[in-house]
Amino acid sequence: MGNVILRRFVSLPFVIFSITFITFWVGFLAPGDPILSMMGGRNDQATYERLRHLYGLDQTWNDQYFRYLGGLLRGDLGLSFRYQGRPVVEIVSGGIPVSVSLGAVALVLSLSIGVPVGIWAALWQNTTAERLSMAAMLMLYSIPSFVLIPIFRWVNYQFYARGWPSLPVAGWGQPEHWIMPVLVLAAASVGYIARLTRVSMLEVLKQDYLRTAYAKGLGQNRILWVHAFRNAVLPIITVVGPSVAFLVTGAFVVENIFAIPGIGFLSVQAIQQRDYPVIQSTTVILAAAVVLMNLITDLLYSLLDPRIRVEG
Amino acid sequence: MAGKTQARDRSLWMTYWLRLRSNRASVVSLIGLILLVGLAAFGPLIYTKSAITPDYKAINAQPLAAHWFGTDNLGRDTLARLLLGLRVSLIVAFYVEGLNILLGATLGLLAGYFGGILDVLVTRLADMLFAFPGLLLAILVAASFGAAVTDRFGGIGRLLLVAGSLSLVSWPLMARLVRSQVLVLREQEFVVASRSLGASDAWIIVRHILPNVAGLIAVSSTLDVAGVVVNESVLSLLGLGIQPPDPSIGKMIVDSMPFLEANPLQVFLPSAALMLIVLTVSFLGDGLRDVFDPRSLP
Repeated sequence: MGNVILRRFVSLPFVIFSITFITFWVGFLAPGDPILSMMGGRNDQATYERLRHLYGLDQTWNDQYFRYLGGLLRGDLGLSFRYQGRPVVEIVSGGIPVSVSLGAVALVLSLSIGVPVGIWAALWQNTTAERLSMAAMLMLYSIPSFVLIPIFRWVNYQFYARGWPSLPVAGWGQPEHWIMPVLVLAAASVGYIARLTRVSMLEVLKQDYLRTAYAKGLGQNRILWVHAFRNAVLPIITVVGPSVAFLVTGAFVVENIFAIPGIGFLSVQAIQQRDYPVIQSTTVILAAAVVLMNLITDLLYSLLDPRIRVEG
Repeated sequence: MAGKTQARDRSLWMTYWLRLRSNRASVVSLIGLILLVGLAAFGPLIYTKSAITPDYKAINAQPLAAHWFGTDNLGRDTLARLLLGLRVSLIVAFYVEGLNILLGATLGLLAGYFGGILDVLVTRLADMLFAFPGLLLAILVAASFGAAVTDRFGGIGRLLLVAGSLSLVSWPLMARLVRSQVLVLREQEFVVASRSLGASDAWIIVRHILPNVAGLIAVSSTLDVAGVVVNESVLSLLGLGIQPPDPSIGKMIVDSMPFLEANPLQVFLPSAALMLIVLTVSFLGDGLRDVFDPRSLP
């Protein structure tokens, strides 16, 4: 399976090390004594020492780092500062399925809109409709989610005011709670994916083998779907990695504005409560998720494209 | 041809300026950007309503003579807050790009030119920071140090922390871009020729490398401003950036969102201001890219 994958696996520990090391140091250097604020106004040296020991803060930095790393490997994210003695895993684990399912639905939606629009735009190159739709895709890509949300809400309110069917403004639990957040999350990646698909498809349409296919009298549909699309779809797979990175930042904004109890919402709550172990853990989890997605895309890419396996 | 000789007589920067001037989108966005900067700099001096003191008689007010753009849910003047928020956005962007150039571009240039251990250190450090997707690292840093910095250094300290944490996300990219350009440049004939004539490294960097990467630095820092302005708003709306009662565009949008139905202006004005910065900067950056592209030299 060639060099690319090997190189990927060699660089993987470095990436994991970077994420955990920087996250640890930011937490280590964060000013203030968490134990002191945990004890409130009480002045009890014995309790102070006991808590310091419980949280491992009486150790040297390298012992703390390796303890932290060892914990991560066992799925132990340490203890919360805010809720004394409560494991961070307990706090965070509820948010993971919420964020993952929200992100996955948004990703599937943006692929299933972005790819067809991109292909359509490549086939109708230089028409007015194509230019307009690509301008719209650029707009979608460059509008930040917190600007898009009020626009959606305003339109929704106009529906509501006229007694037409409308959506809830925030909340979680019902199927209709999904619609607006997913649309907002998907918007940026739809624009990105559509534009990239168009470029990739145009590149393929120029190739000699397509002219050959036309010359030997193959039908339009067969040429498009068998010869062109299968080659154009390859580079599109690589956008999944960056799209997931988009979704991570998007999740922070969208989950907080729509009050969705995902991992982005939990981290901001932890930030307000100065619960640093929770913030560190969500950072590590989100960064690791992106690393994992990138790894999967690379594996998929090299499975589908024989050239990569050989050339590396 | 007459035109060609004229072009040769002009200085390089004059050529760049003329080329920028011939691109309508760039000229319009340059003027727009100058206007925005002017508004941020002088607006609060001319429109002297307080951005912080509430007017209890005008809560969630529509535009009127006393408050040109109305007021928010606490009765604070929207135009005054918008002008100050604009100032915050642009100052943060200015600091971040300053750090990007001082840190990212300089390290990238030195790493690319000298290679060796310095190159290894810089690329590894950039790779480490690249391991964090999107804004994640900026969120972590701003969250961990925010409260303490505000306690000790106040609003200005917080603003610098926001700029610092945002530049953690963008200087590695700048370093990488400059480094790869310098790697190509240092093998070019004119550099080799200069070195063989006995030029020192400092001379080569200042006279030959720097003028050739200046365009790249200008283009990528201009384009980066769009991202920085949006990211500053994200940090502020998450409660990590500029602290209330000081205004920030992102915070204004989110704080007014519950009153969207009653008072849409409070949400859409800051949104429009933000998009205006993003669009002018993006078009200007694209225009600059064409200007500095050697392939388009006359």
